[in-house]
Amino acid sequence: MPGADKNTDLSERIEAFLADLKRGGTGAGPLRGSAETARETTALLRRITAQARWSSAGDLMEIIRKEGRRMTAAQPSETTVGNMVRRVLKIIREEYARSRGSSEETDQQESLHKLLTSGGLSEENFRQHFPTLKANVIEAINELLTELEGTTYNIAMQALEHIHSNEVIMTIGRSRTVEDFLKDAARKRKFHVIVAECAPFCQGHKMATSLSQAEIETTVIPDAAIFAVMSRVNKVIIGTQTVLANGGLRAVNGTHTLALAAKHHSTPLIVCAPMFKLSPQVPYFPFSPSHSYEQRSVTHSLWWVRREILSKVNVYCPVFDYVPPELITLFISNIGGNAPSYIYRLMSELYHPEDHEL
Amino acid sequence: FDNKLFHPSTQMGKDPDMASAVAAIRTLLEFLKRDQGETLFGLRESLTSATDCLTGVDSSVAVSSAGELFLRFISLTSLEHQDLSQCKKVMEERGELFLQKISMSRAKVAKLCHTFIKDGAKILTHSYSRVVLRVLEKAAAEKKRFSVYVTESQPDAAGEQMAAALRKLDVPVTVVLDAAVGAVVEKVDLVIVGAEGVVESGGIINKIGTYQMAVCSKAHNKLFYVVAESFKFVRLYPLNQQDVPDKFKYKADTLRSSQSLSEEHPVIDYTPPSLITLLFTDLGVLTPSAVSDELIKLYL
Repeated sequence: MPGADKNTDLSERIEAFLADLKRGGTGAGPLRGSAETARETTALLRRITAQARWSSAGDLMEIIRKEGRRMTAAQPSETTVGNMVRRVLKIIREEYARSRGSSEETDQQESLHKLLTSGGLSEENFRQHFPTLKANVIEAINELLTELEGTTYNIAMQALEHIHSNEVIMTIGRSRTVEDFLKDAARKRKFHVIVAECAPFCQGHKMATSLSQAEIETTVIPDAAIFAVMSRVNKVIIGTQTVLANGGLRAVNGTHTLALAAKHHSTPLIVCAPMFKLSPQVPYFPFSPSHSYEQRSVTHSLWWVRREILSKVNVYCPVFDYVPPELITLFISNIGGNAPSYIYRLMSELYHPEDHEL
Repeated sequence: FDNKLFHPSTQMGKDPDMASAVAAIRTLLEFLKRDQGETLFGLRESLTSATDCLTGVDSSVAVSSAGELFLRFISLTSLEHQDLSQCKKVMEERGELFLQKISMSRAKVAKLCHTFIKDGAKILTHSYSRVVLRVLEKAAAEKKRFSVYVTESQPDAAGEQMAAALRKLDVPVTVVLDAAVGAVVEKVDLVIVGAEGVVESGGIINKIGTYQMAVCSKAHNKLFYVVAESFKFVRLYPLNQQDVPDKFKYKADTLRSSQSLSEEHPVIDYTPPSLITLLFTDLGVLTPSAVSDELIKLYL
């Protein structure tokens, strides 16, 4: 039966995606960067909307939530998956409300105003059936995909406003967003970039190679030299893995050090992060190194240590750092520049509070 | 009008766990039900004098903010319905609904906040706050092990009340002197306090000694969390301690009876938003900068 074929085809694709996600955690799978992950997730969600069986918005949201939970469980450190699921859930809510004709756009969030003026305990259960809902949702997801395609370009477009001639810029590790940002500015301006190598995986080396191929003067420094060199730096521009709800960052390890050094020297810290990295998670303090996805095996880089010693030594190698919002000056995203204290507002526009917990 | 009938203290006598703001709103709602006025203007006037009466008894920030909220509620509802009797009916319905919602707000706050208390955490808190108690109850119910330091909080030794309540939950608790906060804060992992009022800048007004605790915890880089229900948001914007109005700083009978206020001890202080890490409210987990947004949505 064609229906059964579609279903099995769909579940095959979902399983393939989950497997990719699990492998992607070790850096070996095809999903390299968060942008690709975001695109793949959204495309998969569009396919689920198109092919799965559902009759009302509530059913669709349940299906997407279920798949979303499975996807986030497959790779908890890849937060863009959860973010995209929440974006799609918000799209569904909006399209449903639009079909119903209610002008609820501004009333999505809990607020004091809503507490005072609402006429009843309105439990929206999304049970009504609308024939045009499917097409509307798919079209909105297509718009989301277009937005995702354009994020790096939109961020890079703002580069000329922020980078001036003869400046010394510092960055850490390798971020595709920052790479494109700097390359775009290099078309018109001459400046110098210092890259902290970000041990033990030394992604900074690849970044430096790529930048120097674009004719940008680049210097690589070890992480320990960050503070020493900071006095000569005009700006620090970094990427991040996730932007948290309080305006803080979960970024590659070493970023907190970089941020503290920048604060000490009053150097502006600019974070280039597209909107799909914004996550409604609030950091639980303290970041404990026992989170299983927060560590990577480093035995290959400790090849020079004698085996007898290695077996007696505990090696902690956290992958991510938490950077508090006080250390950040500006967020540059595809929708423009924002202060860290404004992040909560952007988040309320992207996600519905009931979707914070999938 | 006969306020003695539904004095807020009788409301609270029935349920000592109720927030004073909730008791005030309940009183005002009762008052609304019994009002005999013919015009909206008259209704608003009598409600204003009722609120003044209430603040004359208990001049805390919470009661004042509840009164303002209720007046705002009246204005918003009256905008929709022109006819007074219909308006009053809608107001009574919505008022009951509002009361229902805000009585659930403490549970919502507890649900949000207890996940931030890690196993083995050492918590410092100030004076007696029912919201903080609820949060700690929920964390204890989730089988988390934590210990609490609570300040004595003179002049009314409210900290002892908090300690007694915590001992009933089998939580190890130590009472410390107010002056010992600076010495104790290096031992703790986080500080959780309640608030009597949350001001527009995102700062809080709370029992005297809170500001001290906030400054010490900032100096030691400790997390400073505030738990408060959303009806405590108030339209004040103090820039320093002096900006807080005298009617909040001193108890109502002190204001009436004392000769010169400079000899009295203030019972509250103001903690600026730069010292606060996060606010846990029934509207969600907010950064201090998000508070003014909420107030704007309501009042403008």
